Amino acid sequence: MLPAQQDVLNIVQAKFLAAEVVKTIHLNVSVVDGPLENDNRILTLVEYNKSFALFVLVSSRIQPISFSDLSIESVIPLDQNFSFETEPVSGQNYVILIIRYKQNKYEFKIEIGKESCNFAAEIIHAKEVSLTGASNFTWLEKYFGTMNQANRNSETSISDQSDFVLIREGMAQGQASINRESMLKYQMKLREPEFTQKQEFTIFVGTWNVNGQPPSASLKSWLSVDEKPPDLYAIGFQEIDLSKEAFIFNDTPREAEWQKCVMDGIHPNAKYRLVALARLVGMQLAVMVNNQHYQYVKNVSFDTVGTGLLGKMGNKGGVAVRLELHNTSLCFVNCHLAAHVEEYERRNQDYKDINARVNFRKNPQAIKDHEQIYWLGDLNYRITDLTNTQVKTLLQRNEINTLLRADQLSQQRERGNVLLDYSEGDITFQPTYKFDLHSDIYDTSEKARPPAWTDRILWRGKGIHQISYRSHMDLKISDHKPVSALFKSEISVIDQTKFRKVHEDLLKKMDKHENEFLPQVMIDQTEVVFDLVKFREPQARYIIIANTGVVPAEFEFIKKLDEASYCKDWLGILPFCGSINPGEKCDVKLEVNLETDLESIYDILVLHLKGGKDMFITVTGNCQKSCFTQSLSSLVRIRVPIMQSNPQQYNLARNNQSPILYSVPRELWLLVDHLYRHGLKTRDLFESSALHEELIRIRDWMDFGSQDPLPGTPQAVAETFVLFLSYIKEPIIPFELQDVCVAAASNFQNCRQLLIQKLNDIHRTAFIYICMFLQELLKHSNDNGYDAKTLASLFGDILLRDSIRNAKPQASRGKANFMYNFLVNDLSALLIPK
Amino acid sequence: MANRTAQRPNGQTQGKICQFKLVLLGESAVGKSSLVLRFVKGQFHEYQESTIGAAFLTQTICLDDTTVKFEIWDTAGQERYHSLAPMYYRGAQAAIVVYDITNQDTFGRAKTWVKELQRQASPNIVIALAGNKQDLANKRVVEYEEAQSYADENGLLFMETSAKTAMNVNDIFLAIAKKLPKNEQNTGQAGNAQGRRLTEGDTGPKATGNCCK
Repeated sequence: MLPAQQDVLNIVQAKFLAAEVVKTIHLNVSVVDGPLENDNRILTLVEYNKSFALFVLVSSRIQPISFSDLSIESVIPLDQNFSFETEPVSGQNYVILIIRYKQNKYEFKIEIGKESCNFAAEIIHAKEVSLTGASNFTWLEKYFGTMNQANRNSETSISDQSDFVLIREGMAQGQASINRESMLKYQMKLREPEFTQKQEFTIFVGTWNVNGQPPSASLKSWLSVDEKPPDLYAIGFQEIDLSKEAFIFNDTPREAEWQKCVMDGIHPNAKYRLVALARLVGMQLAVMVNNQHYQYVKNVSFDTVGTGLLGKMGNKGGVAVRLELHNTSLCFVNCHLAAHVEEYERRNQDYKDINARVNFRKNPQAIKDHEQIYWLGDLNYRITDLTNTQVKTLLQRNEINTLLRADQLSQQRERGNVLLDYSEGDITFQPTYKFDLHSDIYDTSEKARPPAWTDRILWRGKGIHQISYRSHMDLKISDHKPVSALFKSEISVIDQTKFRKVHEDLLKKMDKHENEFLPQVMIDQTEVVFDLVKFREPQARYIIIANTGVVPAEFEFIKKLDEASYCKDWLGILPFCGSINPGEKCDVKLEVNLETDLESIYDILVLHLKGGKDMFITVTGNCQKSCFTQSLSSLVRIRVPIMQSNPQQYNLARNNQSPILYSVPRELWLLVDHLYRHGLKTRDLFESSALHEELIRIRDWMDFGSQDPLPGTPQAVAETFVLFLSYIKEPIIPFELQDVCVAAASNFQNCRQLLIQKLNDIHRTAFIYICMFLQELLKHSNDNGYDAKTLASLFGDILLRDSIRNAKPQASRGKANFMYNFLVNDLSALLIPK
Repeated sequence: MANRTAQRPNGQTQGKICQFKLVLLGESAVGKSSLVLRFVKGQFHEYQESTIGAAFLTQTICLDDTTVKFEIWDTAGQERYHSLAPMYYRGAQAAIVVYDITNQDTFGRAKTWVKELQRQASPNIVIALAGNKQDLANKRVVEYEEAQSYADENGLLFMETSAKTAMNVNDIFLAIAKKLPKNEQNTGQAGNAQGRRLTEGDTGPKATGNCCK
């Protein structure tokens, strides 16, 4: 990388968070076909936790001198939607870099050279890495907010068309809360310095391999040697129980015994409470905190990892405890790594396994993600390349530093094989292993193991200062001596007042953000008034829904409480749901089609925006009366066409309060009479469909009355006849009688009886009148082509129509059978009772 | 297993977040939208458009130990939309019934709303009565004492407010937030209009594993 490029990279890095690593940049990029002088772009590849994104930065200076010179133009995640290619331009020393993301295409001019080759290679590599893992791009979320307005609206900006829209949309749909929570945490962390101050806590860390011995000595000479009581203890043991039972069942009475011993041995000048006690076979880790700090400890969790036999068993491995003390996350790991001088690689591997497998199942889950880590235990690294005698000689001469050069752990750490980034204090104590029991004499047994610093304490993290690092020779019950380290560690302590201020401030910002990203639309009218609504004469109105917000608006007309549908059955809404992009609009058609007897129409529609507000649209209109939707019993009481009747007459007739004037409604008589005279011989009389206008003319002729003859062809009149019978307020055979009629269909006499006994005079007369007309029609079957079966099936469904219109007809065959009786038998006797 | 305990101190938490649905009801032009606008955005418009529908906004309030997030439904006040109101107060944990202190009818209407809520809304709904337009106190027709005693009789929170001067606007929402129960059973699932608890500062140890993992 050129020095100049390195400078810019540092400036670019300042634009991002520390964890968002700028992998590489490409300077002097210009946008192809840009509207302006579109130079000074910097393509920037950024990695965060193995997910990569390409940022297009605009620099306000040719050579940026501060990160404030840079603004983010576009953000392109390197996920499966990302692709790129280069296109050479003949005779030029530059190529066109084409980046595609979903429907978006970005074209940049870059100079051919080392820089462009490296950059392309990095992108290819990044995309591969991005695709192999489960990349999470939520970290990009915060950047779309920083894009300036002009860019946000520009066509090349990703924020308008791609995934980021979805994120905002999600926010609008109430999914925000989860994002919101993590966002809040994240933002609080960023602003931590504003509401925290560092405070020093003393942390005592101890480790001891007890060689399977029961506790039989006071631990005071190990745990209480310091003048002042520490704020926190983390005490690790190894080999508290070497029995088979402990190994197989992971259960041992020693746990409680040693823990009691610990509690008895810790500093007498303060009271402590146990925060966590974790154990795996012989490895035990207890964390105690000074009572006064107990209430500031939270999110305690632990995990254990066995790396022993088969790489899984708990004879070796680690136990780890994590917690938050005030606002700092701490992790303690007590380990017991593989034994034997030559097994240092196995120990390195055990260390890696513990790191990889410990999962606290809360955030952060891994050891490495804690702010402070204290690593303790019997790490088991030995002294290499020196014989027992050599070691002992060096020890006698007190040449500890010479000896330390042969320490495997120091060597392995130097090579970066283990505990990378950890620190260890200077070792001034003699090796803590291996002693004859109850003595200070190194191993005199046959094996004569050379002494080694197997028991160690290391740390990682900011603000940790080791005060002392020592062994405790007085405890002689084990072949190891205990080791301890005292730390002064900076813990970030929350100032509640400041914390609350920042917290509230952030919440307010997020509320503002959230409210701004709610879907917003305008509608051009909230009152839709239809012209006079007439029977089966559809009428349409259009409303315009315009998205005036910044996120796509998903709209839907929703049901009101206790209603079956989002609108009344006389209205149709198209579309009744949809999605409108910002700045766009949608025409919604409201169509009224009246098929029932209403004086006026009235409904309030609820237009709901998903994740946002509701709007009400009131639909009204007056309706024109029509004979088509009346009941037979009203019609036989009205002398004149319905529109000529005065309101009083009309109301009396509707309420069956005026005298019956006709045996069948005059409208029915007019239609039948017309068909009798002009339609008997018309082929397929009921099968052909008439023009809509023709039907409207006949409807008006009947409703208003006229001196002119009934307009329309016989087929149109026949269709009107069918419509009349279909829409009449109650079917000729009322709903409640239909079942018994169908049941009686096999026997004419029964049908006849039903008719006489159950059907009222008006309906019976109308029914027989219609049947007699149909019989008349059958006399001309040679001309019109109808037989009794066809007519029975056609009129069965009409005269016995179902209560729910447009549904699949019920019991059609039974209805036809019922009708059939009345088309083939003599009906004259039926008329007599009247 | 006793040997694998991670004890849980009562760690001082950063507070749980409870979410509540709050609905504003009242005669048209008493200032429902203005109250919300003042509360959420700190704005006031002399000529606030009439709400035809139900406006939706969110706003968070921090209490000592909890954070309360209100999902606010500001309903249309016109009488003809009355039948739609249950859509909005159903499932609401809080309601502000607003009247205009310079208009006696609106106070009567407010009482009707209170009755309807007591009959039809969730039994535990927290109802606040807001006598708005306190800045027009010189034109007052509804006496403070009258409203206060009505509120007392019916167990309502009561404040006279002014969206114009911001008087008592935050306070009334704050009073509601304080009165809302923030216990476990009241913090149910998201989205179904139950106050929901979004975070816990402190959760238990994970399930204990077996030995020899």
